Amino acid sequence: MSEPVMPEAVMPEAVVISLLAELSRLLERLVRTEETAAIDLRSLPITPDDRAALTTALGRGEVRVTVESGGRSELVETGYPGIWWVRHLGAGDRVLTERIEIAPVPEALAAAPADIAAAADRLAAHLAALAERESSNA
Amino acid sequence: MRDRETIGEGLARRGLSRRALLRYSAWLASLMALPPTASRVMAETLADKPRQPVIWLSFQECTGCTESLTRSFSPTLEDLIFDLISLDYHETLMAASGAPAEAAMEASREANKGKYVLVVDGSVATGLEGAYSTNAGKTNLATLAELAADAAAVLGVGTCAAFGGLPMADPNPTGAKSVGDIVKDKPVVNIPGCPPIPEAIAGTIAYFVTFGRLPDLDHLNRPMAFFGDSIHDRCYRRTFYDQGKFAKSFDDEGARKGWCLYELGCKGPVTWNACATLKWNAATSFPIQSGHGCLGCSEPGFWDRGGFYQPLSAAVMGNPALIGGAAVAAGAAFGAASAVQARKKRAAAQAAAKQAEEGRQG
Repeated sequence: MSEPVMPEAVMPEAVVISLLAELSRLLERLVRTEETAAIDLRSLPITPDDRAALTTALGRGEVRVTVESGGRSELVETGYPGIWWVRHLGAGDRVLTERIEIAPVPEALAAAPADIAAAADRLAAHLAALAERESSNA
Repeated sequence: MRDRETIGEGLARRGLSRRALLRYSAWLASLMALPPTASRVMAETLADKPRQPVIWLSFQECTGCTESLTRSFSPTLEDLIFDLISLDYHETLMAASGAPAEAAMEASREANKGKYVLVVDGSVATGLEGAYSTNAGKTNLATLAELAADAAAVLGVGTCAAFGGLPMADPNPTGAKSVGDIVKDKPVVNIPGCPPIPEAIAGTIAYFVTFGRLPDLDHLNRPMAFFGDSIHDRCYRRTFYDQGKFAKSFDDEGARKGWCLYELGCKGPVTWNACATLKWNAATSFPIQSGHGCLGCSEPGFWDRGGFYQPLSAAVMGNPALIGGAAVAAGAAFGAASAVQARKKRAAAQAAAKQAEEGRQG
Protein backbone atom coordinates (compact mmCIF):
# COMPACT_ATOMS: atom_id res chain seq x y z
CA MET A 1 0.00 0.00 0.00
CA SER A 2 1.53 3.28 -1.12
CA GLU A 3 1.51 6.43 0.97
CA PRO A 4 -1.21 9.03 0.47
CA VAL A 5 -0.27 11.67 -2.09
CA MET A 6 -0.96 15.27 -1.13
CA PRO A 7 -2.95 17.35 -3.61
CA GLU A 8 -0.68 19.31 -5.91
CA ALA A 9 -0.73 23.06 -6.37
CA VAL A 10 0.15 23.36 -10.07
CA MET A 11 -1.99 25.37 -12.52
CA PRO A 12 -4.28 22.94 -14.41
CA GLU A 13 -6.53 23.48 -17.47
CA ALA A 14 -9.66 25.65 -17.25
CA VAL A 15 -12.02 22.65 -17.30
CA VAL A 16 -10.16 21.11 -14.37
CA ILE A 17 -10.34 24.38 -12.43
CA SER A 18 -14.10 24.62 -13.00
CA LEU A 19 -14.50 21.00 -11.84
CA LEU A 20 -12.46 21.76 -8.73
CA ALA A 21 -14.68 24.80 -8.09
CA GLU A 22 -17.78 22.63 -8.34
CA LEU A 23 -16.26 20.01 -6.05
CA SER A 24 -15.37 22.75 -3.56
CA ARG A 25 -18.98 23.98 -3.55
CA LEU A 26 -20.38 20.43 -3.19
CA LEU A 27 -17.95 19.54 -0.41
CA GLU A 28 -18.85 22.68 1.48
CA ARG A 29 -22.53 21.75 1.06
CA LEU A 30 -21.83 18.25 2.39
CA VAL A 31 -20.30 19.84 5.51
CA ARG A 32 -23.27 22.15 5.98
CA THR A 33 -26.26 19.95 5.06
CA GLU A 34 -24.91 16.37 4.80
CA GLU A 35 -26.29 16.32 1.25
CA THR A 36 -24.29 13.97 -0.96
CA ALA A 37 -23.60 14.54 -4.66
CA ALA A 38 -21.91 12.98 -7.66
CA ILE A 39 -20.34 14.14 -10.91
CA ASP A 40 -20.43 11.83 -13.93
CA LEU A 41 -17.05 12.23 -15.63
CA ARG A 42 -18.19 10.28 -18.68
CA SER A 43 -20.74 12.95 -19.52
CA LEU A 44 -18.11 15.71 -19.56
CA PRO A 45 -15.95 16.61 -22.55
CA ILE A 46 -12.64 16.03 -20.79
CA THR A 47 -9.50 14.68 -22.44
CA PRO A 48 -7.22 12.00 -20.95
CA ASP A 49 -4.82 14.87 -20.08
CA ASP A 50 -7.59 16.73 -18.21
CA ARG A 51 -8.41 13.53 -16.34
CA ALA A 52 -4.77 13.07 -15.38
CA ALA A 53 -4.57 16.71 -14.27
CA LEU A 54 -7.70 16.25 -12.15
CA THR A 55 -6.24 13.11 -10.57
CA THR A 56 -3.07 15.00 -9.73
CA ALA A 57 -4.99 17.99 -8.40
CA LEU A 58 -7.13 15.83 -6.10
CA GLY A 59 -4.28 13.66 -4.82
CA ARG A 60 -4.86 10.36 -3.05
CA GLY A 61 -6.14 9.66 0.44
CA GLU A 62 -5.97 6.75 2.84
CA VAL A 63 -8.60 4.43 1.38
CA ARG A 64 -8.58 2.28 -1.73
CA VAL A 65 -11.37 -0.29 -1.96
CA THR A 66 -12.23 -2.99 -4.47
CA VAL A 67 -15.85 -4.11 -4.56
CA GLU A 68 -16.70 -7.41 -6.25
CA SER A 69 -20.42 -7.55 -6.95
CA GLY A 70 -21.26 -8.94 -10.37
CA GLY A 71 -18.02 -7.36 -11.58
CA ARG A 72 -15.41 -5.08 -10.10
CA SER A 73 -15.55 -1.51 -8.79
CA GLU A 74 -12.66 0.64 -7.57
CA LEU A 75 -13.38 3.25 -4.93
CA VAL A 76 -10.49 5.56 -4.15
CA GLU A 77 -10.43 8.34 -1.58
CA THR A 78 -8.83 11.50 -2.88
CA GLY A 79 -6.56 13.77 -0.86
CA TYR A 80 -9.72 15.60 0.20
CA PRO A 81 -11.73 13.39 2.60
CA GLY A 82 -15.34 13.31 1.41
CA ILE A 83 -14.32 13.29 -2.26
CA TRP A 84 -14.09 9.83 -3.84
CA TRP A 85 -13.05 8.70 -7.26
CA VAL A 86 -15.34 5.82 -8.29
CA ARG A 87 -14.90 3.47 -11.25
CA HIS A 88 -17.30 0.65 -12.14
CA LEU A 89 -15.65 -1.84 -14.48
CA GLY A 90 -17.30 -4.15 -17.00
CA ALA A 91 -16.15 -6.93 -19.31
CA GLY A 92 -12.38 -7.03 -19.82
CA ASP A 93 -11.97 -4.48 -16.99
CA ARG A 94 -13.04 -1.61 -19.20
CA VAL A 95 -14.33 1.43 -17.34
CA LEU A 96 -18.12 1.64 -17.74
CA THR A 97 -18.77 4.40 -15.25
CA GLU A 98 -16.37 6.94 -13.85
CA ARG A 99 -17.71 9.37 -11.30
CA ILE A 100 -16.61 11.54 -8.45
CA GLU A 101 -18.80 11.12 -5.39
CA ILE A 102 -19.02 13.71 -2.65
CA ALA A 103 -20.06 11.73 0.41
CA PRO A 104 -18.67 10.30 3.68
CA VAL A 105 -18.49 6.89 1.92
CA PRO A 106 -19.23 6.04 -1.73
CA GLU A 107 -22.74 4.67 -2.26
CA ALA A 108 -21.51 1.30 -3.52
CA LEU A 109 -19.54 0.68 -0.29
CA ALA A 110 -22.16 0.75 2.47
CA ALA A 111 -24.25 -2.39 2.90
CA ALA A 112 -27.88 -1.76 1.91
CA PRO A 113 -30.53 -2.00 4.70
CA ALA A 114 -32.35 -4.79 2.81
CA ASP A 115 -29.12 -6.80 2.56
CA ILE A 116 -28.43 -6.26 6.28
CA ALA A 117 -31.97 -7.37 7.18
CA ALA A 118 -31.61 -10.49 5.02
CA ALA A 119 -28.20 -11.17 6.61
CA ALA A 120 -29.67 -10.91 10.12
CA ASP A 121 -32.30 -13.51 9.22
CA ARG A 122 -29.72 -15.73 7.61
CA LEU A 123 -27.32 -15.60 10.56
CA ALA A 124 -30.13 -16.26 13.07
CA ALA A 125 -31.29 -19.25 11.00
CA HIS A 126 -27.74 -20.55 10.87
CA LEU A 127 -27.41 -20.27 14.67
CA ALA A 128 -30.75 -22.02 15.19
CA ALA A 129 -29.63 -24.85 12.89
CA LEU A 130 -26.40 -25.19 14.89
CA ALA A 131 -28.31 -25.28 18.19
CA GLU A 132 -30.65 -27.93 16.79
CA ARG A 133 -27.73 -30.07 15.67
CA GLU A 134 -26.12 -29.75 19.10
CA SER A 135 -29.30 -30.76 20.94
CA SER A 136 -29.82 -33.78 18.65
CA ASN A 137 -26.21 -34.83 19.31
CA ALA A 138 -26.62 -34.47 23.07
CA MET B 1 -49.08 -18.69 -11.22
CA ARG B 2 -46.78 -17.98 -8.28
CA ASP B 3 -45.74 -14.43 -7.46
CA ARG B 4 -42.56 -13.47 -9.24
CA GLU B 5 -39.60 -12.88 -6.97
CA THR B 6 -38.20 -9.35 -6.89
CA ILE B 7 -35.02 -8.40 -8.71
CA GLY B 8 -33.28 -7.89 -5.36
CA GLU B 9 -34.30 -11.38 -4.17
CA GLY B 10 -33.16 -12.88 -7.45
CA LEU B 11 -29.73 -11.31 -7.06
CA ALA B 12 -29.50 -12.44 -3.43
CA ARG B 13 -30.20 -15.99 -4.59
CA ARG B 14 -27.15 -15.66 -6.83
CA GLY B 15 -25.11 -14.35 -3.88
CA LEU B 16 -25.12 -10.75 -5.11
CA SER B 17 -25.94 -7.81 -2.85
CA ARG B 18 -27.77 -4.58 -3.72
CA ARG B 19 -24.36 -3.19 -4.64
CA ALA B 20 -24.62 -4.94 -8.00
CA LEU B 21 -27.78 -2.93 -8.69
CA LEU B 22 -26.11 0.31 -7.55
CA ARG B 23 -23.28 -0.33 -9.97
CA TYR B 24 -25.76 -1.09 -12.72
CA SER B 25 -27.92 1.96 -12.10
CA ALA B 26 -24.84 4.20 -11.95
CA TRP B 27 -23.95 2.87 -15.39
CA LEU B 28 -27.51 3.28 -16.65
CA ALA B 29 -27.70 6.86 -15.34
CA SER B 30 -24.47 7.65 -17.15
CA LEU B 31 -25.63 5.98 -20.40
CA MET B 32 -29.00 7.71 -20.40
CA ALA B 33 -27.64 11.12 -19.28
CA LEU B 34 -29.65 11.07 -16.04
CA PRO B 35 -28.49 12.92 -12.91
CA PRO B 36 -25.72 10.80 -11.34
CA THR B 37 -27.37 10.99 -7.92
CA ALA B 38 -30.45 9.23 -9.39
CA SER B 39 -28.59 5.92 -9.19
CA ARG B 40 -29.45 5.24 -5.54
CA VAL B 41 -33.20 5.69 -6.01
CA MET B 42 -33.03 3.68 -9.23
CA ALA B 43 -31.26 0.81 -7.49
CA GLU B 44 -33.80 0.82 -4.62
CA THR B 45 -36.70 0.89 -7.08
CA LEU B 46 -35.29 -1.97 -9.12
CA ALA B 47 -34.56 -4.11 -6.04
CA ASP B 48 -38.25 -4.15 -5.03
CA LYS B 49 -39.68 -4.77 -8.50
CA PRO B 50 -40.46 -8.15 -10.00
CA ARG B 51 -38.47 -8.99 -13.09
CA GLN B 52 -39.99 -7.45 -16.21
CA PRO B 53 -41.65 -10.08 -18.39
CA VAL B 54 -40.35 -9.88 -21.95
CA ILE B 55 -41.62 -11.75 -25.00
CA TRP B 56 -39.15 -11.63 -27.87
CA LEU B 57 -40.36 -12.41 -31.39
CA SER B 58 -37.97 -13.08 -34.27
CA PHE B 59 -39.39 -12.40 -37.72
CA GLN B 60 -37.49 -11.75 -40.99
CA GLU B 61 -34.09 -11.39 -39.32
CA CYS B 62 -30.58 -12.83 -39.15
CA THR B 63 -30.26 -13.20 -35.33
CA GLY B 64 -27.51 -10.55 -35.33
CA CYS B 65 -29.55 -8.40 -32.93
CA THR B 66 -29.72 -11.25 -30.39
CA GLU B 67 -25.99 -11.87 -30.87
CA SER B 68 -25.33 -8.19 -30.18
CA LEU B 69 -27.17 -8.32 -26.84
CA THR B 70 -25.82 -11.66 -25.63
CA ARG B 71 -22.19 -11.65 -26.83
CA SER B 72 -20.36 -10.20 -23.88
CA PHE B 73 -18.07 -11.91 -21.46
CA SER B 74 -19.91 -13.44 -18.54
CA PRO B 75 -20.52 -12.60 -15.76
CA THR B 76 -20.25 -8.85 -16.09
CA LEU B 77 -22.09 -5.68 -15.28
CA GLU B 78 -23.38 -5.54 -18.85
CA ASP B 79 -25.07 -8.94 -18.38
CA LEU B 80 -27.12 -7.75 -15.43
CA ILE B 81 -29.97 -6.87 -17.80
CA PHE B 82 -30.85 -10.59 -17.69
CA ASP B 83 -31.45 -10.27 -13.93
CA LEU B 84 -33.84 -7.39 -14.58
CA ILE B 85 -36.01 -9.17 -17.10
CA SER B 86 -37.75 -12.50 -17.33
CA LEU B 87 -37.25 -13.57 -20.92
CA ASP B 88 -40.37 -15.70 -21.20
CA TYR B 89 -40.11 -16.44 -24.91
CA HIS B 90 -37.19 -16.24 -27.32
CA GLU B 91 -36.96 -18.93 -29.99
CA THR B 92 -33.17 -18.84 -30.28
CA LEU B 93 -32.36 -18.74 -26.57
CA MET B 94 -35.09 -20.82 -24.93
CA ALA B 95 -34.52 -24.48 -24.12
CA ALA B 96 -38.09 -25.46 -24.95
CA SER B 97 -39.25 -25.98 -28.50
CA GLY B 98 -42.44 -26.85 -30.34
CA ALA B 99 -45.73 -26.95 -28.45
CA PRO B 100 -44.18 -26.42 -24.95
CA ALA B 101 -42.47 -23.23 -26.21
CA GLU B 102 -45.71 -21.87 -27.60
CA ALA B 103 -47.45 -22.82 -24.35
CA ALA B 104 -44.83 -20.81 -22.40
CA MET B 105 -45.59 -17.76 -24.53
CA GLU B 106 -49.32 -18.18 -24.03
CA ALA B 107 -48.84 -18.57 -20.26
CA SER B 108 -46.78 -15.40 -20.04
CA ARG B 109 -49.27 -13.48 -22.16
CA GLU B 110 -52.16 -14.56 -19.93
CA ALA B 111 -50.32 -13.91 -16.67
CA ASN B 112 -48.86 -10.55 -17.73
CA LYS B 113 -51.65 -9.04 -19.80
CA GLY B 114 -50.95 -5.36 -20.42
CA LYS B 115 -47.63 -5.59 -18.56
CA TYR B 116 -45.14 -7.40 -20.75
CA VAL B 117 -42.67 -5.77 -23.10
CA LEU B 118 -42.85 -7.14 -26.63
CA VAL B 119 -39.49 -7.10 -28.39
CA VAL B 120 -39.45 -7.74 -32.11
CA ASP B 121 -36.39 -8.25 -34.26
CA GLY B 122 -36.84 -8.63 -38.00
CA SER B 123 -39.29 -7.05 -40.39
CA VAL B 124 -42.87 -8.20 -40.91
CA ALA B 125 -43.75 -9.89 -44.21
CA THR B 126 -47.14 -8.65 -45.41
CA GLY B 127 -47.20 -10.07 -48.97
CA LEU B 128 -49.61 -13.00 -49.57
CA GLU B 129 -51.25 -12.08 -46.25
CA GLY B 130 -47.99 -12.69 -44.44
CA ALA B 131 -47.34 -16.18 -45.79
CA TYR B 132 -43.68 -15.42 -46.61
CA SER B 133 -42.68 -15.73 -42.95
CA THR B 134 -44.33 -18.02 -40.45
CA ASN B 135 -43.52 -19.50 -37.03
CA ALA B 136 -45.46 -22.29 -35.34
CA GLY B 137 -47.89 -22.38 -38.26
CA LYS B 138 -48.88 -18.73 -37.86
CA THR B 139 -47.84 -15.75 -39.95
CA ASN B 140 -45.59 -13.19 -38.27
CA LEU B 141 -48.22 -10.64 -39.20
CA ALA B 142 -50.90 -12.43 -37.16
CA THR B 143 -48.57 -13.18 -34.23
CA LEU B 144 -47.52 -9.52 -34.00
CA ALA B 145 -51.10 -8.24 -34.03
CA GLU B 146 -52.10 -10.76 -31.37
CA LEU B 147 -49.20 -10.15 -28.98
CA ALA B 148 -48.99 -6.38 -29.45
CA ALA B 149 -52.61 -6.12 -28.33
CA ASP B 150 -51.72 -7.17 -24.75
CA ALA B 151 -48.25 -5.57 -24.50
CA ALA B 152 -47.33 -2.57 -22.36
CA ALA B 153 -44.86 -1.40 -24.98
CA VAL B 154 -43.35 -2.69 -28.19
CA LEU B 155 -39.64 -2.44 -28.99
CA GLY B 156 -38.51 -2.73 -32.59
CA VAL B 157 -34.93 -3.95 -32.16
CA GLY B 158 -32.65 -3.64 -35.19
CA THR B 159 -33.13 -1.77 -38.45
CA CYS B 160 -35.36 -4.51 -39.94
CA ALA B 161 -37.93 -4.22 -37.14
CA ALA B 162 -37.53 -0.44 -36.85
CA PHE B 163 -37.55 0.54 -40.53
CA GLY B 164 -37.92 -2.63 -42.64
CA GLY B 165 -34.17 -3.07 -43.16
CA LEU B 166 -32.73 -5.48 -45.69
CA PRO B 167 -35.93 -7.51 -46.28
CA MET B 168 -37.63 -4.27 -47.36
CA ALA B 169 -34.80 -3.38 -49.77
CA ASP B 170 -35.87 -2.91 -53.38
CA PRO B 171 -37.74 -4.83 -54.82
CA ASN B 172 -39.06 -5.97 -51.41
CA PRO B 173 -40.36 -9.37 -52.59
CA THR B 174 -42.11 -10.25 -49.31
CA GLY B 175 -43.85 -6.92 -48.80
CA ALA B 176 -41.73 -6.39 -45.68
CA LYS B 177 -42.80 -3.62 -43.30
CA SER B 178 -41.53 -2.21 -40.05
CA VAL B 179 -43.20 -3.03 -36.71
CA GLY B 180 -44.37 0.56 -36.43
CA ASP B 181 -46.17 0.23 -39.77
CA ILE B 182 -48.26 -2.60 -38.33
CA VAL B 183 -48.68 -1.71 -34.65
CA LYS B 184 -50.61 1.56 -34.45
CA ASP B 185 -52.31 1.43 -31.05
CA LYS B 186 -49.24 0.90 -28.82
CA PRO B 187 -46.11 2.92 -28.22
CA VAL B 188 -43.39 1.51 -30.48
CA VAL B 189 -39.78 2.32 -29.65
CA ASN B 190 -37.22 1.87 -32.40
CA ILE B 191 -33.68 0.76 -31.58
CA PRO B 192 -32.20 0.55 -35.07
CA GLY B 193 -28.74 -0.56 -36.11
CA CYS B 194 -27.43 -3.56 -38.01
CA PRO B 195 -27.07 -4.77 -35.34
CA PRO B 196 -28.07 -2.20 -32.68
CA ILE B 197 -25.57 -1.25 -29.99
CA PRO B 198 -26.16 -3.66 -27.06
CA GLU B 199 -26.16 -0.79 -24.53
CA ALA B 200 -29.01 0.84 -26.48
CA ILE B 201 -31.13 -2.34 -26.27
CA ALA B 202 -30.33 -3.06 -22.63
CA GLY B 203 -30.46 0.61 -21.56
CA THR B 204 -33.91 1.17 -23.06
CA ILE B 205 -35.35 -1.97 -21.47
CA ALA B 206 -33.71 -1.19 -18.11
CA TYR B 207 -35.10 2.36 -18.24
CA PHE B 208 -38.61 0.98 -18.75
CA VAL B 209 -38.21 -1.49 -15.87
CA THR B 210 -36.92 1.25 -13.55
CA PHE B 211 -39.29 4.10 -14.34
CA GLY B 212 -42.29 2.25 -15.76
CA ARG B 213 -42.26 4.48 -18.83
CA LEU B 214 -40.35 4.90 -22.05
CA PRO B 215 -37.38 7.24 -22.42
CA ASP B 216 -37.52 10.42 -24.53
CA LEU B 217 -37.73 9.59 -28.22
CA ASP B 218 -36.82 11.45 -31.42
CA HIS B 219 -39.05 11.88 -34.51
CA LEU B 220 -38.28 8.29 -35.61
CA ASN B 221 -39.14 6.96 -32.10
CA ARG B 222 -35.49 6.31 -31.24
CA PRO B 223 -34.32 6.94 -27.66
CA MET B 224 -32.63 10.37 -27.63
CA ALA B 225 -30.00 9.18 -25.15
CA PHE B 226 -28.49 6.90 -27.81
CA PHE B 227 -29.63 8.48 -31.07
CA GLY B 228 -29.44 12.18 -30.22
CA ASP B 229 -26.04 12.84 -31.83
CA SER B 230 -24.81 12.05 -35.32
CA ILE B 231 -21.80 9.80 -35.80
CA HIS B 232 -20.13 12.78 -37.47
CA ASP B 233 -20.62 15.12 -34.49
CA ARG B 234 -18.97 12.69 -32.09
CA CYS B 235 -16.35 11.28 -34.49
CA TYR B 236 -12.73 11.49 -33.37
CA ARG B 237 -11.79 12.23 -37.02
CA ARG B 238 -14.03 15.31 -37.02
CA THR B 239 -11.05 17.70 -36.66
CA PHE B 240 -9.69 16.45 -40.02
CA TYR B 241 -13.06 17.15 -41.62
CA ASP B 242 -13.01 20.65 -40.19
CA GLN B 243 -9.48 21.14 -41.54
CA GLY B 244 -10.51 19.82 -44.99
CA LYS B 245 -8.19 16.79 -44.74
CA PHE B 246 -9.81 13.87 -46.56
CA ALA B 247 -8.65 10.40 -47.55
CA LYS B 248 -9.13 10.13 -51.33
CA SER B 249 -8.85 6.36 -51.60
CA PHE B 250 -8.45 3.46 -49.17
CA ASP B 251 -4.80 3.06 -48.21
CA ASP B 252 -3.66 6.41 -49.65
CA GLU B 253 -1.54 8.71 -47.50
CA GLY B 254 -4.56 10.46 -46.01
CA ALA B 255 -6.21 7.14 -45.09
CA ARG B 256 -3.00 6.03 -43.37
CA LYS B 257 -2.89 9.28 -41.43
CA GLY B 258 -6.45 8.68 -40.25
CA TRP B 259 -8.03 11.59 -42.12
CA CYS B 260 -11.78 12.02 -42.63
CA LEU B 261 -13.52 9.34 -44.78
CA TYR B 262 -16.24 11.66 -46.09
CA GLU B 263 -15.08 11.44 -49.72
CA LEU B 264 -14.97 7.64 -49.48
CA GLY B 265 -18.69 7.57 -48.77
CA CYS B 266 -18.89 7.86 -44.97
CA LYS B 267 -22.54 8.38 -43.95
CA GLY B 268 -21.61 9.68 -40.49
CA PRO B 269 -23.09 13.16 -41.07
CA VAL B 270 -26.60 11.79 -41.70
CA THR B 271 -26.53 8.88 -39.26
CA TRP B 272 -27.75 9.21 -35.69
CA ASN B 273 -26.30 6.55 -33.41
CA ALA B 274 -23.83 6.16 -30.52
CA CYS B 275 -21.12 4.08 -32.28
CA ALA B 276 -18.57 6.90 -32.05
CA THR B 277 -18.86 7.09 -28.26
CA LEU B 278 -19.91 3.63 -27.02
CA LYS B 279 -18.13 1.71 -29.79
CA TRP B 280 -18.28 -2.08 -30.33
CA ASN B 281 -16.89 -5.32 -28.90
CA ALA B 282 -16.30 -4.07 -25.35
CA ALA B 283 -15.51 -0.55 -26.65
CA THR B 284 -12.68 -1.81 -28.86
CA SER B 285 -13.47 0.08 -32.06
CA PHE B 286 -16.14 1.18 -34.52
CA PRO B 287 -16.17 1.18 -38.35
CA ILE B 288 -14.54 4.59 -38.82
CA GLN B 289 -11.82 3.77 -36.28
CA SER B 290 -11.17 0.60 -38.29
CA GLY B 291 -10.69 2.67 -41.45
CA HIS B 292 -14.07 2.29 -43.13
CA GLY B 293 -16.78 4.89 -43.53
CA CYS B 294 -20.11 4.63 -41.70
CA LEU B 295 -22.76 2.77 -43.77
CA GLY B 296 -25.64 4.55 -42.05
CA CYS B 297 -27.12 1.22 -40.93
CA SER B 298 -29.38 2.74 -38.27
CA GLU B 299 -31.20 5.03 -40.72
CA PRO B 300 -34.38 4.18 -42.66
CA GLY B 301 -33.80 2.67 -46.11
CA PHE B 302 -30.00 2.68 -45.74
CA TRP B 303 -29.65 -0.22 -48.18
CA ASP B 304 -31.28 1.64 -51.08
CA ARG B 305 -29.78 5.06 -50.51
CA GLY B 306 -27.10 5.24 -53.17
CA GLY B 307 -23.67 3.59 -53.05
CA PHE B 308 -21.83 2.94 -49.78
CA TYR B 309 -18.66 4.33 -51.36
CA GLN B 310 -20.15 7.41 -52.98
CA PRO B 311 -19.67 10.63 -51.05
CA LEU B 312 -22.86 12.03 -49.54
CA SER B 313 -22.91 15.00 -51.88
CA ALA B 314 -23.21 12.55 -54.79
CA ALA B 315 -25.35 9.87 -53.13
CA VAL B 316 -29.12 9.80 -52.77
CA MET B 317 -29.48 9.40 -49.02
CA GLY B 318 -32.47 11.38 -47.77
CA ASN B 319 -31.78 14.84 -49.15
CA PRO B 320 -28.03 14.44 -49.28
CA ALA B 321 -26.89 17.02 -51.81
CA LEU B 322 -28.30 19.62 -49.44
CA ILE B 323 -27.04 18.06 -46.20
CA GLY B 324 -23.61 17.19 -47.59
CA GLY B 325 -23.21 20.54 -49.32
CA ALA B 326 -24.23 22.49 -46.23
CA ALA B 327 -21.92 20.44 -44.06
CA VAL B 328 -18.95 20.97 -46.37
CA ALA B 329 -19.61 24.70 -46.64
CA ALA B 330 -19.93 25.06 -42.87
CA GLY B 331 -16.78 23.05 -42.29
CA ALA B 332 -14.80 25.16 -44.74
CA ALA B 333 -16.19 28.50 -43.60
CA PHE B 334 -15.83 28.08 -39.87
CA GLY B 335 -12.81 25.84 -39.60
CA ALA B 336 -13.12 24.18 -36.21
CA ALA B 337 -16.92 24.29 -36.05
CA SER B 338 -18.31 25.59 -32.81
CA ALA B 339 -20.75 23.55 -30.75
CA VAL B 340 -23.50 25.97 -31.74
CA GLN B 341 -22.83 25.32 -35.41
CA ALA B 342 -22.84 21.59 -34.81
CA ARG B 343 -26.20 21.84 -33.08
CA LYS B 344 -27.69 23.94 -35.89
CA LYS B 345 -26.44 21.51 -38.50
CA ARG B 346 -27.84 18.64 -36.54
CA ALA B 347 -31.26 20.29 -36.32
CA ALA B 348 -31.21 21.11 -40.05
CA ALA B 349 -30.16 17.60 -41.00
CA GLN B 350 -32.78 16.05 -38.71
CA ALA B 351 -35.45 18.29 -40.22
CA ALA B 352 -34.31 17.28 -43.71
CA ALA B 353 -34.35 13.60 -42.75
CA LYS B 354 -37.84 14.02 -41.33
CA GLN B 355 -39.02 15.72 -44.51
CA ALA B 356 -37.55 12.94 -46.61
CA GLU B 357 -39.27 10.39 -44.36
CA GLU B 358 -42.63 12.13 -44.69
CA GLY B 359 -42.08 12.37 -48.45
CA ARG B 360 -41.59 8.62 -48.63
CA GLN B 361 -44.66 7.87 -46.58
CA GLY B 362 -46.83 10.41 -48.46
